[in-house]
Amino acid sequence: MHSAEVAVGQSPADFKKVNIALIGNPNSGKSSLFNLLTGLHQKVGNFPGVTVEWKKGDFRLDNQQEVTLIDFPGTYSCYPNSQDERIVIQNLLDPDSDTHPDAIIYVADITKLENHLLLLTQIVDLGFPVLLVLNMADIAEAGGITIKKELLEEQLRCRTVMVSSRTGSGVEALRIQLQELINQLQGPIQVQPKLYELSTKEKQLSKSVQEIASGKTPYHGLLMAHHHSWLPFLGEARREKIAKVVQQTEFESLRAQVTETLQRFNFFTPLVKQAIRTQTTRKSQVFTEKLDNILTHRIAGPLLFLLLMLLVFQSIYSWASYPMDGIEAIFGWFGEGLQQIMPDTWYSDLLTNGIIAGLAGILVFIPQITILFFLIAILEEVGYMARAAYIFDRIMQFFGLNGRSIVALISGGACAIPAIMSTRTISNWKERLITILVTPLISCSARIPVYTVLIGFVVPASTVGIFNLQGLAFMGLYLLGIVAALLTALVFKLILRSGERSYLMLELPEYRWPVMRNVGYTVWEKVKTFVWEAGKIIFVISIVLWFLSSYGPEAGMAAAIQETNNTAAQQGLDETQTADLLAAKKLEASYAGIFGKFVEPAIQPLGFDWKIGIALITSFAAREVFVGTMATIYSIGSEADEYSVRKQMAAEIRPDTGKPVYDLATSLSLLIFYAFAMQCMSTLAVVKRETNSYKWPLIQFLYLSALAYFGSLLVYQLLS
Amino acid sequence: MVAIINSGSSLTNCQKGTTFHIDRFTDEQIAARLISMGLLPGSEIRIVRTSPFGGACYVKVNDQYLALRKEEAACIVLK
Repeated sequence: MHSAEVAVGQSPADFKKVNIALIGNPNSGKSSLFNLLTGLHQKVGNFPGVTVEWKKGDFRLDNQQEVTLIDFPGTYSCYPNSQDERIVIQNLLDPDSDTHPDAIIYVADITKLENHLLLLTQIVDLGFPVLLVLNMADIAEAGGITIKKELLEEQLRCRTVMVSSRTGSGVEALRIQLQELINQLQGPIQVQPKLYELSTKEKQLSKSVQEIASGKTPYHGLLMAHHHSWLPFLGEARREKIAKVVQQTEFESLRAQVTETLQRFNFFTPLVKQAIRTQTTRKSQVFTEKLDNILTHRIAGPLLFLLLMLLVFQSIYSWASYPMDGIEAIFGWFGEGLQQIMPDTWYSDLLTNGIIAGLAGILVFIPQITILFFLIAILEEVGYMARAAYIFDRIMQFFGLNGRSIVALISGGACAIPAIMSTRTISNWKERLITILVTPLISCSARIPVYTVLIGFVVPASTVGIFNLQGLAFMGLYLLGIVAALLTALVFKLILRSGERSYLMLELPEYRWPVMRNVGYTVWEKVKTFVWEAGKIIFVISIVLWFLSSYGPEAGMAAAIQETNNTAAQQGLDETQTADLLAAKKLEASYAGIFGKFVEPAIQPLGFDWKIGIALITSFAAREVFVGTMATIYSIGSEADEYSVRKQMAAEIRPDTGKPVYDLATSLSLLIFYAFAMQCMSTLAVVKRETNSYKWPLIQFLYLSALAYFGSLLVYQLLS
Repeated sequence: MVAIINSGSSLTNCQKGTTFHIDRFTDEQIAARLISMGLLPGSEIRIVRTSPFGGACYVKVNDQYLALRKEEAACIVLK
């Protein structure tokens, strides 16, 4: 914005929007601070070119300065060990990237300052203006902490502010400091701070690299020399040149990294000792050790894990039933009301039987999905996930996975997409790839609607002891998914070859009481995405499906009416019976009917009829569409006013035998199909981007489809 | 006594619950990673417990807790 130079009084237009990056070690309280600063103005997006997810939020400072805050993944140092960390470094080193920050808010946990300052000193050496936030997350308890703030500011060459990301105290001061930091951006460039003195060899190397790829500071040039082999923005030509220089100077990256890191620690370890005095043992540490005596106990640990998972699935099933009944009732009432006040035309039919029926079919599952996302967010927030990774690392290794895979597998229970993205913390490519390939076998929240509807036809709704039988069946399906995931992983482990080393090296953060604000934001964002994304697809598919199942080739439709009239006359059917029969015959003659009939031969051995065939086809876009499709098909196929899919399906009769369609064999076979099948376009798209190839999503799609088809075939043939 | 017996031996051979000091590392790649997480020559280290299915140990280093695999712990040489 080139507004004229105004001498007095700056208008908001004078401030260019600035990019501020939020950077820090894992578990430094970065995300809490992000939520505090941006509130609900957050967006989730991807870094350009790669799919690493970032969260971005806009806010305005008191002087109207607009700020875009970008939350980067937690990182230990400028020497990345995983894909997640690489993204951070890549963005810091590439000034042309859209997400390259103008300045940085660096978050450090005050109780772990000795470790958290390593990355800070590196970032200061990269020449970024930095605001250091000392997060006192949990130590409101520790009255015994004294800090010499001025000493830190002077030695580390950056502004410092104390904040509690838990209570929000200090955030106002942070905003004022940030404002001043941004004001300084317009001013003259300051003298480059050098917290690490490059060796003669490093200086020479850095200079040569800077001639090839212009770096802001000597340290910037040095890091490009270290990371030239993978930095994407360098391009082939510059990469080769840098490689040559690195070779000529006989530069040993790993050794240089260790020397540099140790030298940095030598600089700030005494500083931290001087500036901060804490109690030797803190309450939260005592608490963590005591709790972990039980939670990570050799025998009790794994058992408690299983119990915890059982509780999670029980609560999805039992807590959600009341709000679900409520939502179903509201839609029933709403649909009926609409039908009465609207004229009897094609568009009111489209609205009630098509769109409302389809949407009701999916919205009713919001309570279950919310509960699941809520519980997983809590486990993550308190720090339990890292313990699960520690407990199961050995077992995971046996199956070709990493302890960290368990985080993906658990969150895969909510949705495969964030789960697959979370594998970026696994540094070994083979372990990461296998985790990505098997994660869709873990039953995600989109399967909840399908499972809930179908389990009703397989298991009675009674309780044994404290357990709800249907809840147990639900758990059984999740177990089936887990077992299938592990066994497939084992197969992939034996097929795939890799000589790369694998690591665990995982920080076990101290247990902390969950910040409900963080949990709330996570749940809100995920449920919103689920409803919005699923809602969009279901909305479109409902409309298309309504047309396809309400209209058909004229000759066929005429024949259906003719046939109905004949049958009605012969058997002396009353008005309602005739209308029902007509609706059913018309559906069969419609385009959707023709489509379903076309695939019927292939799925008949699995116990599925042509109506299920239609649902199978539509749910290849997203599996939760199944229930919506069923609702639309059965609403059109019957004149009865019924908005509960479960009741509609229960009433469905096989025309040849007169028995219910959803008997044990068919329902179970369908359950198996949905447990295994790869019916999610978005997951495939994410796998394509994460593996950077079409090969892996294709392999994944094929093996999962085969597993689903033959699994269902086996079940149906055994039971029928 | 214990400290003398364990002198120069790796973390995997040492006694649970006792605090030692790190002397050096025997594997450069592992060392680079451990150092960036704050495990330095001179750091205090203590094995708190070993994992349920073996293979990993739960350690306290300076002021933080970490999970390390046996192979990772094996490259840590104690003073």
